[in-house]
Amino acid sequence: MKLKVAWLVLLSLMIVLLFSLSLAAQTATLSGTATDAKGKPIANAAVTLKPATGAPIEVHADADGNYRIPDLAPGEYTLSASGEGLSSKAIKVTVTTAPRQTVDVLLVPEQELPSAPQAAPSSAPASPSLQDLGFSSEQTQGNAQLQATLAKRTHMLKTHQKLGLITVIPMAATLITGPQAKAKGRNGGTIKEPTTANLDFHAALGGATTALYFSAAYFAIRAPRVPDTKKHGGIRWHEALAFVHGPGMILTPILGAMAYNQENNGEKAHGIAAQHGTVAYVTAIAYGTSIVAVSWPIHWKFWEK
Amino acid sequence: MNRAVLMGVLLVPAALAAQTDTQWVLDQSTLSYHMSHPMHQVDGVSHAAKGKGTCHAGQCSFLIAAPVKSFDSGDTNRDLHMLETTRGAQFPMVVVRTSFSEGASTAATIDVDLEIEFAGQTAHYAHVPFQRTAQGNEVSISGTIPATCSDFKIDRPSFLTVPIKNEIPVKVAMSWHKM
Repeated sequence: MKLKVAWLVLLSLMIVLLFSLSLAAQTATLSGTATDAKGKPIANAAVTLKPATGAPIEVHADADGNYRIPDLAPGEYTLSASGEGLSSKAIKVTVTTAPRQTVDVLLVPEQELPSAPQAAPSSAPASPSLQDLGFSSEQTQGNAQLQATLAKRTHMLKTHQKLGLITVIPMAATLITGPQAKAKGRNGGTIKEPTTANLDFHAALGGATTALYFSAAYFAIRAPRVPDTKKHGGIRWHEALAFVHGPGMILTPILGAMAYNQENNGEKAHGIAAQHGTVAYVTAIAYGTSIVAVSWPIHWKFWEK
Repeated sequence: MNRAVLMGVLLVPAALAAQTDTQWVLDQSTLSYHMSHPMHQVDGVSHAAKGKGTCHAGQCSFLIAAPVKSFDSGDTNRDLHMLETTRGAQFPMVVVRTSFSEGASTAATIDVDLEIEFAGQTAHYAHVPFQRTAQGNEVSISGTIPATCSDFKIDRPSFLTVPIKNEIPVKVAMSWHKM
């Protein structure tokens, strides 16, 4: 019977691992719009994307200046465009695992290229400029590296969110099947010997929950941190509660395995193993609360479209 | 002859005064975008906008700008997601430009045409009504810009796989003073 449970848990782990990998392993699509300094789209602009190594990729923008380059592996690229007698600067682009990334390209007359900043404001001569307002160049200049970090972070946290929500399903099922592992007999009395099928099913669900939980946790822990960010709001509660359900998700399977062995030896679960259920409930409550915390404040408005 | 000199003395300063530039500086501002989701109603607020205006020869040009990352919705995670979705690291400023005739600027309701640079895109909004109240050299302006995600080619962020509404109206409340 132990071998059967081990196989069930292993099978659950493999399913979860394959599912996690399918969520994570994605190529990216780079898209954007080629425009001139007045925002006019450059139809049929030639857009070139050069990888750090290998042959450059060239596509042509459509009539609205929109270009799209699919199936890109994550990495460093150099983007440039030309058309209608205009050219762009070479733009360093970091393609991440985020499925969609947008980089717009500004095309200017070639003689203006050395001093033509991306997204440079076009203003009338008498109009004030951004420098007049007192913003520093650090504040007004774009940071492609930070944008790439944010894109990677979002992608990883979306995967974390999906896996975390999916985890709720086997977690709830495990909690429901826990008491049934000691199902009452037909005469209404508690049976001393839990049924093998119930115990195995409960153990397999527990294994799947654990595997999914730690897969979800991996994506949150590995998501890149954004420098100079002081956290506030519901995310702080979400993270603080991980210090409750995290150890709980380690302890629950250990106590479960101990209780399982004791039951299989014909003993009633005793000692610290008897706390398996309590620890599991506390863990589940903390887990549920952390989902609510990151969603707070909740204003149900499903009737509005 | 004397009458002509007198007329000249009276009219020249008046003409010079009409040519004089008037400068306006933004004192205080509250910009807030509203985001609707079936589970959330979120307002992101910024008080970090800076602005200047110049009126010259009867025409006024105003420039207002705020760092995208200065908008605070009450949750760091949501703000970082907003920053990513709006390409706020690559295009860190939201910039608003507007021009109108100096005469129109004294009405209680001003209809202005706005040019807004945000998320690497430029959108134009025509005849956006703003309420104006004046007290001495101080002028307060308030109104709502009917912005949408699609105006700036922003992929609508989603929560629990449900995207937010396309409309992200931006409420504006500003106090200006004349230099």
